[in-house]
Amino acid sequence: MTLETSAPATAPPARPQRRASRQDTAGRSTGERTLGVFTHGFLVAWAILVAVPLLWAVLTAFKTDSEIFTNPWSLPAHWQFGNFARAWTTANIGTYFVNSLIVVSVSVVLVMLLGSMVAYVLARYEFPGRSVIYYAFVAGMTFPIFLALVPLFFVVQNLGMLGTYQGLILVYTAYALPFTVFFLTGFFRTLPGALAEAAMLDGCSHAGVFFRIMLPLARPGLISVGIFNFLGLWNQYLLPLVLMPDSQHYVLSQGLAVLAANQGYRSDWSALFAGLVIALLPVLAVYVIFQRRIQEGLSVGAIK
Amino acid sequence: MNPSRPVLGLDRRQFLQRLAAAGLLAVPGAGLLSACATGGGGTTTAAQGQVSATNPLGVATDAPLDVVIFKGGYGDDYALAHEAMYKEHYPQAQVKHSGSTQIAQEMQPRFVAGNPPDVLDDTGSQKIEYAVLVNDNQLTDLGPLLDAPSADDPNVKVRDTLLPGVIEQGTFGDKFVILNYVYETYALWYSKPLFEKNGWQAPTTWDEMMALCEKIKAAGIAPFTYGGVNASDYVIDLNLGAAIKQGGLDVVKKMDNLQPGAWTQDTVLAATQRLEEMVRKGYFMPGSEGLKHTEAQTAWVQGKAAFYVSGSWIENEMKGITPPDFAMTAAPIPVLGSGSAMPVAALRTQPAEAFVVPAKAKNVHGGMEYLRLMLSKQGGEKFAELTASVPAVKGATANAKKTPALESLSAALAAAGSNVFSWQFRTWYSSYSTLLITETTNLLTGRTDAAGYLAKLQAETDRIAADQSIAKYHR
Amino acid sequence: MRHGKYRFIASFLAIPLVLYVVFVVSPYAQAFYISMTDWRGFSGQQNFIGLRNYAELATDGRFWQAMGHNGLLILVVPLVTIAFALFLAAVTTVAGRQGAVGRGGVRGSRFYQVVFFFPQVVPVVIAGVLFGFFFNPDAGLLNGVLRVVGLGWLTRPWLGDPALALPSVMAVLIWGAVGFYYVLFSSAMKSVPPDVFEAAVLDGAGRLRTFWSITLPMIWDSVQVSYIYLGIMVLDGFALLQVMLPVPGGGPDGSTVVVSQYLYETAFTGGRFGYASAIGVALCLVTLLLAVAVLRLTRRQQGEY
Repeated sequence: MTLETSAPATAPPARPQRRASRQDTAGRSTGERTLGVFTHGFLVAWAILVAVPLLWAVLTAFKTDSEIFTNPWSLPAHWQFGNFARAWTTANIGTYFVNSLIVVSVSVVLVMLLGSMVAYVLARYEFPGRSVIYYAFVAGMTFPIFLALVPLFFVVQNLGMLGTYQGLILVYTAYALPFTVFFLTGFFRTLPGALAEAAMLDGCSHAGVFFRIMLPLARPGLISVGIFNFLGLWNQYLLPLVLMPDSQHYVLSQGLAVLAANQGYRSDWSALFAGLVIALLPVLAVYVIFQRRIQEGLSVGAIK
Repeated sequence: MNPSRPVLGLDRRQFLQRLAAAGLLAVPGAGLLSACATGGGGTTTAAQGQVSATNPLGVATDAPLDVVIFKGGYGDDYALAHEAMYKEHYPQAQVKHSGSTQIAQEMQPRFVAGNPPDVLDDTGSQKIEYAVLVNDNQLTDLGPLLDAPSADDPNVKVRDTLLPGVIEQGTFGDKFVILNYVYETYALWYSKPLFEKNGWQAPTTWDEMMALCEKIKAAGIAPFTYGGVNASDYVIDLNLGAAIKQGGLDVVKKMDNLQPGAWTQDTVLAATQRLEEMVRKGYFMPGSEGLKHTEAQTAWVQGKAAFYVSGSWIENEMKGITPPDFAMTAAPIPVLGSGSAMPVAALRTQPAEAFVVPAKAKNVHGGMEYLRLMLSKQGGEKFAELTASVPAVKGATANAKKTPALESLSAALAAAGSNVFSWQFRTWYSSYSTLLITETTNLLTGRTDAAGYLAKLQAETDRIAADQSIAKYHR
Repeated sequence: MRHGKYRFIASFLAIPLVLYVVFVVSPYAQAFYISMTDWRGFSGQQNFIGLRNYAELATDGRFWQAMGHNGLLILVVPLVTIAFALFLAAVTTVAGRQGAVGRGGVRGSRFYQVVFFFPQVVPVVIAGVLFGFFFNPDAGLLNGVLRVVGLGWLTRPWLGDPALALPSVMAVLIWGAVGFYYVLFSSAMKSVPPDVFEAAVLDGAGRLRTFWSITLPMIWDSVQVSYIYLGIMVLDGFALLQVMLPVPGGGPDGSTVVVSQYLYETAFTGGRFGYASAIGVALCLVTLLLAVAVLRLTRRQQGEY
């Protein structure tokens, strides 16, 4: 299979178990073979469905506007690298990318810390009001955000944080808390308690147990919920729209949305696609590089 | 964790102090909004300067000016030019410029907070509906602007420099509150070379149009296309335009005034039935209902369809995709038959690109002055030069470089003379927009017929007329 | 010790709770209050009108139409996404090859792990633009491919057809979501202890049996969480609809209008923020009920080690 060889070089080495299962190729039944053909066909079809629109977007980023419409499915006649320069400078994709990176990274770190503190307490301590707090967070997952936009605007404005990174970071953190708490509470409940009890007997404080024992134990779960949060906040669009009115502080999703909205009025499709590619590649690269760690994180977060 | 650990540079006490400042907000329903209304807005005193011959609106020369421009089909370069003009007149004033396509979401909180911009170009699909702003008393009465001397000639008032229809379009009740700066004209657009090559002529009557459509179809081209996903309502210029030309201005006034039976008038029904006939005969490009307006227009400039019904922004919008020899040309909507009340050359001219000065702006006078400068000869010419479009001021395009579309449009406007009309029901009553798009698509795809289409529109008209909570206007 | 415990709990909860109350709870509480007013959205003027908005909502045909679409979305999108993701994960990680029903998976699974994740990094706004081109009936990829492979009679004006517009949008939502849940499920499957599978193989269980009686129960928690998360994502599918079908009317003949879109339209086009807030509150309640129902219904015996 050629697919195997086209796997990116950065992919981490296969695990030993997988190698082992690949050894014998003899003695398969006809039924199994049909199933194999079917599943392979399905996998390839899905891979094409997933990859083609993106490849097309990348190719389109190198075309002129009229080419996008007249020859949408062919290779560009001349590779228009200028589209990227335009997206970078005129549409400020570079700046927006950095803005997004700052806001989202800090928010994710913050929400992980605060969320795990809440989740830990909710999961492992009995105290009055515990279920009220838990359900208050669960309910937070179900609110449509733009119901809150206008009141939220005033909250942030009265705190003097309108249009600031810290304002957006705190809001992002607060809005990512419900899911984080929900997910991690379930996770902390499943961690073995014996270790914590032993540590307490050794004179470790409550906070000490959390930071020295439970948090490291929970690392895989933290990674998986961290990824959820990162992707969710990276694509967040409504909150910055209202809270980051100053175009210099736009985050990436806002910048792209403005580019996309402009297409309804004046067509610069090529810059839009160039901007899209600039925005996509780093995220893809991060995924490819950290792929294995991400998967490990997800696996332990998902099962106990 | 040590609870007094700093949170993002704020130590905890500072943090809690700020929270206390916002503390009121945490109380459910504690009238945050009413607090804002009394605190932020209402009684704000706008910056005011000395009235003089050169400063007829009494601008405070050092007051900053906050301008928000809809960055749509016309871009915002023209606004930068206007802002430079303002700066030239008032060198001490700070001018803040923002271009946006998300007017409603970005501006709404500022309106509520009583901190709106001084000049707002409220346009585009994300605009704040005008009726909403007007009914909430959010707009400054621009009457003083109309009566101020124009920037070029102190003996001529601003109102006398405007093209016909501009004042009417911006008047709600008895107040002129919106300056629609672009003189948009609606027409049937086609490529002149394509028509010449095939020996086709722009039709003047519906019979001619039907015959031509048959020929075009035979040549393997779709006669018409439209953006069925979001802009099928462009097509209503065909049937409503024909109905109004046939029956005269009374036809449209009945609609605007929400009269019973306005949408079932004979001429309206007759014209809509002709449109239905076009649908039945397959004169609209198959698949148009799945296209956005930009996609439909792209198909049109690629020669897949012969006609496109649109406003005069079309050339600007398709710049970059239109082939250089396309020569976009405007033709008026054909008349239904003989004895029409208005000549074939009549056009719907509907000033658009709504500039407003919010009532609670910090610099209301500066905002009005900015509009006055936009309406100067220099301001108008700048706009015409940068956008190849017609601004609402007389004579601005005289010296502008004429693109084919602008050239044909100028000729069409000259031929129309005073035979121009417009409709107001969409501006006055926001619920029509949604209905028109949905129902026109239904008509153009054959899901409904002319009678059913008009019945839906009449039902909405009757509903609005009966609804006490909706402010009514009259012409 | 007891005192220490409560001080500890308080110190851990204080900051997150304050943040949550200030930035999340208080705006929503105000939204709830607004839902009982006739606020128009642009001035400070508002009158308290009690439950009038809710009474109107009960008989608002468009609201219920939108609710129906939401119901359809929330039923179909998560189910299909999870089914796809489970299938893909199973064949690439667990199913293995020719009888070796252990872990491992088909050839190229590492390649698939990378490729299938792609859509997850595409912002929803961009996915909307991309698929606008894909579904374009005139020049789009879908109809183009159908014509090339001789299925020209299948071409449709996808987003312009009331029967197909919503399914088309659902397809995009599914396209975007499968990758993440695929990675989630395959990771979960990999962490099932290998001896569990070995035991199954010794018992002579086939692929399907193994999947139903071992794999699925073992990763049931992931599936359950996924359903809830997907449900919430779908309710938030507003941005995608807004880009793909930028219609005030909600698609051809209103066939794709969803609650959030109706809410938006009511607020910004209609200038009725009070009523729009009531719509939002109703949406919350429904979502909350749904989340509880899913948790109840899917609670089942845990996988046994």
